[in-house]
Amino acid sequence: MLKLFGAVLILLSGTLAGFHQAARFAARPKQIRELILAMQRLETEISYGFTPLPDAFRRLAGQLGEPLRSIFRSAASHMASGSGITAQESIQRSLHDNWKRTAMKAPERDILHQLSFTLGTSDRQDQIKHIALAAQQLKHEEALARDEQAKYEKISRSLGLLIGALIVILIF
Amino acid sequence: MWYKKHLLVYKRKAHGLKRRQLGGGRITNPNWLELFPDRIKSILLALPRELLGKLEEVRIREGRPLEVNESGGHRFVTGQGQLTLDEDKAYRPNRDDSRRFLDLISNHSLYTLEEELRKGFITVPGGHRIGLAGRTVLAGGKVEHIRDISGFNIRIAREIRGAANAVLPFLYDERERRMKHALILSPPQHGKTTLLRDLARQISSGSIGATFAKAAGMKVAIIDERSEIAGSVNGVPSFDVGSRTDVMDACPKAEGMMMMIRSMSPDVLIVDEIGREEDAEAVTEALHAGISVIASAHGSGPEELRNRPAMKRLMDDRMFEAYVMLHRSRGKTVFRVMDRQMRLLQLQAKGEAHHA
Repeated sequence: MLKLFGAVLILLSGTLAGFHQAARFAARPKQIRELILAMQRLETEISYGFTPLPDAFRRLAGQLGEPLRSIFRSAASHMASGSGITAQESIQRSLHDNWKRTAMKAPERDILHQLSFTLGTSDRQDQIKHIALAAQQLKHEEALARDEQAKYEKISRSLGLLIGALIVILIF
Repeated sequence: MWYKKHLLVYKRKAHGLKRRQLGGGRITNPNWLELFPDRIKSILLALPRELLGKLEEVRIREGRPLEVNESGGHRFVTGQGQLTLDEDKAYRPNRDDSRRFLDLISNHSLYTLEEELRKGFITVPGGHRIGLAGRTVLAGGKVEHIRDISGFNIRIAREIRGAANAVLPFLYDERERRMKHALILSPPQHGKTTLLRDLARQISSGSIGATFAKAAGMKVAIIDERSEIAGSVNGVPSFDVGSRTDVMDACPKAEGMMMMIRSMSPDVLIVDEIGREEDAEAVTEALHAGISVIASAHGSGPEELRNRPAMKRLMDDRMFEAYVMLHRSRGKTVFRVMDRQMRLLQLQAKGEAHHA
């Protein structure tokens, strides 16, 4: 009886792990898409609104959903804190603190990291170019992420169950 | 807010400041130190406090010694906050310092300062002005903006209430109850702008001189092409320029004068550093419209002014009813007032003053 209960438990957790992995595969392109939209909004804020970076980030945070919201919000609060840290450091610090909560992977992080070096440090045209470039790169990553999703989402869901089953078989 | 942290330090220093305020003028944004990146801020905070309150300029040049100026002259600053004249001992701000400084003064957003970069200076809260030097980018033969900014000149603004006390009675026409048309003349850094600012404040609040019966305040319009008189940030003056004063910030003088005459119906127009043909035209226009103009111009005396055709015409037409000549030596500002026919009316010492 106890054995049966353990087996069910292992099967269940295997399945759950699989579903969780599948959900991450599904969430990644969605979050990248959201990030691209955020980049486009940032571009508008800079080119038409002349909005200072902290305000622009705060506004973006208001429009975005979690987990992207906290990335922009904490970067904005770092910038406005008045403790003398630059925009670049604010963004990098925020990425470091909040990245784990997203489903995104290293390439997207690198793109934002790269962008942080130029944000706020040049004239509008230059800023727009850099943001557009980041958006372009993100789109590329999005396409890759969608491919991965198509390939691995279903597999990982069934794989979870199967690995659970394998462990059960091996144990018995 | 960004200045909160520094407020504590400032409170601790309040005692020392009070003494200095007498001679040094009121610093409207005592937290100007907050503008600097940490490293330079800690160096400046280590300076003798007496000096810190009298500073007029701080100069940051990438790779070259950090320099501070007060009315007495220039000094370099070492990494420990000691004054020196020896270049080799001085602290040399590096690329990181200037990059950080630029990031902080632009509120992390250099792209919002395109107009300022074209003009070569930024006005920050408190009316302090930061002059910039670097490599310019041209478009159509004109300076589009500055990039690779490596030189900063932070001019610390102080307002001196009462700077105009002694001059004001000479500029008030008691019979007609209006201000005379006046031209203020002095070399740079001798207190023209400070005087204009206090004139604006006193005229608009109606406290015209201590000896005069309290007149009603007049409507004052300031055309502040270089954001020096009012030190406006986002269109709101940082200095007290009076409650009935309108400020047209960063506006070309001639155009601004005409706009003000047409739209704001001022009694008194205050404008800094006139000299070009179109300025003279606008001044004439204002005088004919019955608006008093108080203007300033570079020059140590009326003779010098005659060399400029536009100004010569104004003087030949006897447009101004009073001329005020300022001269500052050893911290004392002396002024002379002359009337329409260039007759000397008064010679007087005005006491200690600083440029702003």
